Amino acid sequence: MKICLLDLGIAGKPSYLFIVFPPCGRLSSSLCGCLFTTAISWIEAGLLKDCGMAQGTTVPKLNFEYWLDKAIEWGQATTLESQKDVCLHLPRLQEFLHQIYETLKHMDSVVAIQQFPLIGQLLGRLCWNPFVIGYDESQKTLMWCLCCLYSSEPQNPVELKANSWIRSLLCHLLSSSKWESNEAETGTFISTLGYTSADYYCHLVKNMVFPLVTELRGNQFNGLNIQGRVSASRVNAVSLFCLPLITLPDLTPLLETLLLYHGGASKEILSSEFLEAVNEAFLKKKISLPESAVFSLWLRHLPSLEKATLYLLDQLVTTQFNSLEEVACVMKDSLLPQAASHPAIFRIVNEIFKNALLETDGTPEVMTIIQVFTQLFLQAHQNENKRKFPLKAYFPYHHQPLLTALVRRPFELPTTHWSQHLKHISDMLKALVEDTNISSLADLFEIWFLIARFGEWLDIAAEQLLKAAVEPDALLWLLAFYYCPQNENQQRTQTMVEAQAVYNHLMLLFSCTVLSVKDLEAAVHSIMDIEQCCNQHLITHLLTNFLLFSSGGHMIAQEFIYHRTVEISKLLSSYKMYEKTCLGQKLLLNLEHFTCSVITETTDRSKEVCSLLIRSAYRIKHNGEENQRTVKLLNELLQKLTSKV
Amino acid sequence: MEAVLEQVEQLPALLAVSRSALVRDWDALTLDRALEWGRYFQHLHDRFRTRPRLREALGRRLRRGQPSPLLGFPHLGRCPQLLGLALLENRALPPAACRRLIHSLLQPAGAEAGPEPRSLALLARRKAASRLLALPGGPPRAPEEMGPQPRTEAQLLLSRLREEAREAEPAGEAAGRLRWLSGVLEELPQPRVFEVVAAALLLRPGSDAEQAGDGGRDGKSVDGNQASATGDEGVAGLLLSWLLGNLERFSAFCLFLPGSLLASLAGHYSQFSRPYLDLLTGWGSHLLYDPLQGRWVKSCLDKAELSWEELRERFTCLCQGSALLRGQTQDALKLLKARDGDFTVCGLSVWTDLLVEVEEYLRKEAKCQRMNPKAT
Repeated sequence: MKICLLDLGIAGKPSYLFIVFPPCGRLSSSLCGCLFTTAISWIEAGLLKDCGMAQGTTVPKLNFEYWLDKAIEWGQATTLESQKDVCLHLPRLQEFLHQIYETLKHMDSVVAIQQFPLIGQLLGRLCWNPFVIGYDESQKTLMWCLCCLYSSEPQNPVELKANSWIRSLLCHLLSSSKWESNEAETGTFISTLGYTSADYYCHLVKNMVFPLVTELRGNQFNGLNIQGRVSASRVNAVSLFCLPLITLPDLTPLLETLLLYHGGASKEILSSEFLEAVNEAFLKKKISLPESAVFSLWLRHLPSLEKATLYLLDQLVTTQFNSLEEVACVMKDSLLPQAASHPAIFRIVNEIFKNALLETDGTPEVMTIIQVFTQLFLQAHQNENKRKFPLKAYFPYHHQPLLTALVRRPFELPTTHWSQHLKHISDMLKALVEDTNISSLADLFEIWFLIARFGEWLDIAAEQLLKAAVEPDALLWLLAFYYCPQNENQQRTQTMVEAQAVYNHLMLLFSCTVLSVKDLEAAVHSIMDIEQCCNQHLITHLLTNFLLFSSGGHMIAQEFIYHRTVEISKLLSSYKMYEKTCLGQKLLLNLEHFTCSVITETTDRSKEVCSLLIRSAYRIKHNGEENQRTVKLLNELLQKLTSKV
Repeated sequence: MEAVLEQVEQLPALLAVSRSALVRDWDALTLDRALEWGRYFQHLHDRFRTRPRLREALGRRLRRGQPSPLLGFPHLGRCPQLLGLALLENRALPPAACRRLIHSLLQPAGAEAGPEPRSLALLARRKAASRLLALPGGPPRAPEEMGPQPRTEAQLLLSRLREEAREAEPAGEAAGRLRWLSGVLEELPQPRVFEVVAAALLLRPGSDAEQAGDGGRDGKSVDGNQASATGDEGVAGLLLSWLLGNLERFSAFCLFLPGSLLASLAGHYSQFSRPYLDLLTGWGSHLLYDPLQGRWVKSCLDKAELSWEELRERFTCLCQGSALLRGQTQDALKLLKARDGDFTVCGLSVWTDLLVEVEEYLRKEAKCQRMNPKAT
């Protein structure tokens, strides 16, 4: 269920890409393009190294000829073409250098030179390429390679010469070198002062960044902000030679200035390699940029935005979260909810989420992620002071009154009004869906998606049904629509009927203080023999809420946990394929016994209940009204669920 | 404590040895020990930098072992790099020790908890960055702006001078410090040293230079700013004494640097403006009028002096400075004109002609500015 395919690592399986992301619409073509080029470069890299199957048993063939040819071609990277080419190859070169080092560190220096005769030439040339030395960790790896080749006991003049040459290269890299004339002047001066090249270059870089920043920001002191006088090719060149230096902290002001630079040209003048690299560094938390710069990056470079969204989704889906607070935290760190205040960004992110939901058949995790995102987005939007767009800008095709109703946060209304509000929503929705002519499935989906993302209200609907139902039919209809939006074959109507029956029965049991598992079983079995997918979800939702909020339910819930633990651990061992929390599955498994005698996909169901509980916990914490017993039970259930990872 | 002081006194010797041929007898173990010492000194620095009395004691002891004040307390903090890089550059170091050295440089022993500047991989990266950022294509630099290299050298020079001002005893040391400064500045070749000194004089605390200045890691923040104002004056004073101490050097300085830069200096430092004007006066009085060509020419072509055009440019720049400077310059010119005979006709007195041209230029400038107030 991988959403982010960029995390492949399986360079030899391009067919996987084709299946899951079929072209479907304007977004996906660019998204596909982004994915395809990435895949191709990995496949290329896959030619250079093992597919990972052999797990390091075979030493990968080190392709010296290729890289030496490249190094010769690049020279010292003084022309624009060579600079662009170097920048494209930097990550793979770093990888290659790392491989060399891994191989060299176990070898004797003499043996190394015998086995890799071209290594001296290659390393020597690379030391003169500032793009290579400036990049990320390449310089460290290169120096380590040189260290490995240095022989501590030279036996013959050749080795002595090699040593001397390595020495010179290291001096060239680290201090003043005899090969650079301008350094000869200042070298002795600096050391007489008692400083080293470390101090000198620290200051020098800052002194070089500052005029570049000034140049790009334009001369703002003479009234006319003449930014346009810097030519587009110059800005492009600057962005290119900054590329290796992106993770160098001294350069952050320049990066910021570049990202915020608007020269008035209609085409993008920053090099796309640069934008991509900045995005990568930001996503991997290797640099920290101000928000405005990040938003600017995403606004001007669509592939970066797509990558950032997919990265976030991947992060959230693959990590086990114990609470929604954690999810919210990760999301806020990613800056995407804040960025989504720009309607253009919001729409793209929305599309990606929608696609993810469709591709994964609506798994509850993705749904939860979308719901949390929507909440955070609303928060950021409400806090926005400078330039607030109306809601219509984000949801242009939707029924505005319905949207307005959904956007109200529950804490803005007193709890007694919740039922009424939900009825209002339900009525509007019903009118939209049943009375108007919904022409296509796509339109229905859009409406459904709108409701679904405001899941908070749906959860409250389920809660209100059991606690304070004034007009249960409306609320039930809302839930029925959520779980079963289509009604071509009267599925929804059927769901509604059955849900009502279960609900009525549950309400009968609600006030019973003493309940047994069998009572509950009876309640559900009496109604059905259900195979229908939608109903299972709805009834699970009702049941879980029942367990949480009814007095009798509390007792049963605990029984499930405490007394079934033995049974559960036996069952545990038989479910090897579920890497997620198991206890929830067991709780669920028992619930299933009582809801229907069909054993369905346990993983899916367990995740559903887990999501429900996590959402309830988050909601209760934020709306702050709930009796202590429920809170206690919730915490216990969650603790048990998450402790059995 | 006495033991520590004795150890610290050995640092200059250690550094001297690491730069000399004596290292040829070192093996890997000796090298390790040397680097250990380096780390130990750094550790001392980190422990004592916030304790002024101990700092002073260590600093004093350090100086005792040296003929000229070469190293001070802050150098203890930089010891590992000083030592490491000095050894790396020393070709006499035998291979076994050298290999160990390279190893330790790339992977420093112990917890590398120090701030960023102490990492050598970062150094290599920054070096490459300086080459990348210097790639051509930028706008031409205005003459009064310093290139990044002289500016950096000036910053380091200032930083060192400020350290000196803080650490050394103030009284009775001025002559010694001047000597030391001369020695240091001799390391730079002539045109370069002028740029550096000019930049150093123009880099003032609070100006935009300071945001690129040294990171204050040598206790600058500790001492606070109470001594910095007077200290800076002392530093500037020292630089100016060096500059003005030798007439030949001073003339070369004023010949080499552009007029706008010198005017800037004259504006900031009154000790500079006077000798500068005197120098210009001297040069001006050596000009002769050539009636055939209709202009002022140099009397002796091989002498290092200014031509008429250059002289005019210098005076114009001076008049574009602060009101005080402008007033001074114009008064000086008027005085000279009067002394020469107060002629109003061109071609008789160089000062008359200069005054006329300068005032003409200023009038045009003022007119331009009135018509186009947004242009500078």
